Amino acid sequence: MDVEKLEEIRDRERKEDTFTPMPSPYYMELTKLLLNYASDNIPKADEIRTLVKDTWDTRIAKLRLSADSFVRQQEAHAKLDNLTLMEINTTGTFLTQALDHMYKLRTNLQPGESAHSQDF
Amino acid sequence: MNVLKLQGNPSACRTAVPRARGSCRRTGPLSGSKLEIPLWLAKGLHDSKRRIISVELPKIYKEAWRTVFSADANVVDLHKMGPYYYGFGSQLLNFDNPENPEIAQSILQTFISRFRRIMDSSQNAYNEDTSALVARLDELERALFRAGQKGLNDFQCWEKGQASQITASSLVQNYGKRKFTDMDG
Repeated sequence: MDVEKLEEIRDRERKEDTFTPMPSPYYMELTKLLLNYASDNIPKADEIRTLVKDTWDTRIAKLRLSADSFVRQQEAHAKLDNLTLMEINTTGTFLTQALDHMYKLRTNLQPGESAHSQDF
Repeated sequence: MNVLKLQGNPSACRTAVPRARGSCRRTGPLSGSKLEIPLWLAKGLHDSKRRIISVELPKIYKEAWRTVFSADANVVDLHKMGPYYYGFGSQLLNFDNPENPEIAQSILQTFISRFRRIMDSSQNAYNEDTSALVARLDELERALFRAGQKGLNDFQCWEKGQASQITASSLVQNYGKRKFTDMDG
């Protein structure tokens, strides 16, 4: 939890279009636990909190951007590297439901279909 | 039961129309008349071989509105136009209509264009009054909005540490039991 290292990670995240690997797959959870319970023992706790939050916001924004382009171009498959579980959980439900609806609307495009679903 | 009603033309002879129970008159709608009937009834009566009814599209699925949607779908108040735009539109495709492919395409494209705004507004409005944001969404979009809000709320809840606190269930609080602190002295 070194300030310089976190700054470096944050800047790298901002420059790249794809996701950069995080030092730990549970960085959010660890940060929260450590800062909540041991903030006195960690020097510059507030700066660290801000840096991690900035990195998190950047990653979430990238995730939303990629979800939007995925829907817009109606692609069938997307691969996202270096995502952590926490990020997936925040947007997962919404995304799967939206894609579900989109799938139903897309099957409507098939002509000559006799079995339209009765319940929408 | 849908809010929108279809215009049906009963174009076959009168005996094809279901008669009310207990009436002995043989009158019914004449062929060529226009009626408003709910969707489920139109679906039941629809038969491409016997041509009992033909369906006229509600105006929101017609050419004029389709152009509006393709220009910018975000400005349309879908709730006012019939709160079940997507669902009803999908059901409309059951009736053989020469414009079906365009209607299906238009519904899909509308959804795609409005998706971004729903995602952004649902994920960024924490603990605020969202009625202004959802006012223009149709029911399907509102369900999506609620899912997005729930995700956001759960995350904030976790971040504040409420996820590991034990709170009294809302069901139990309504029982009106005396609390522990009230019982002393």
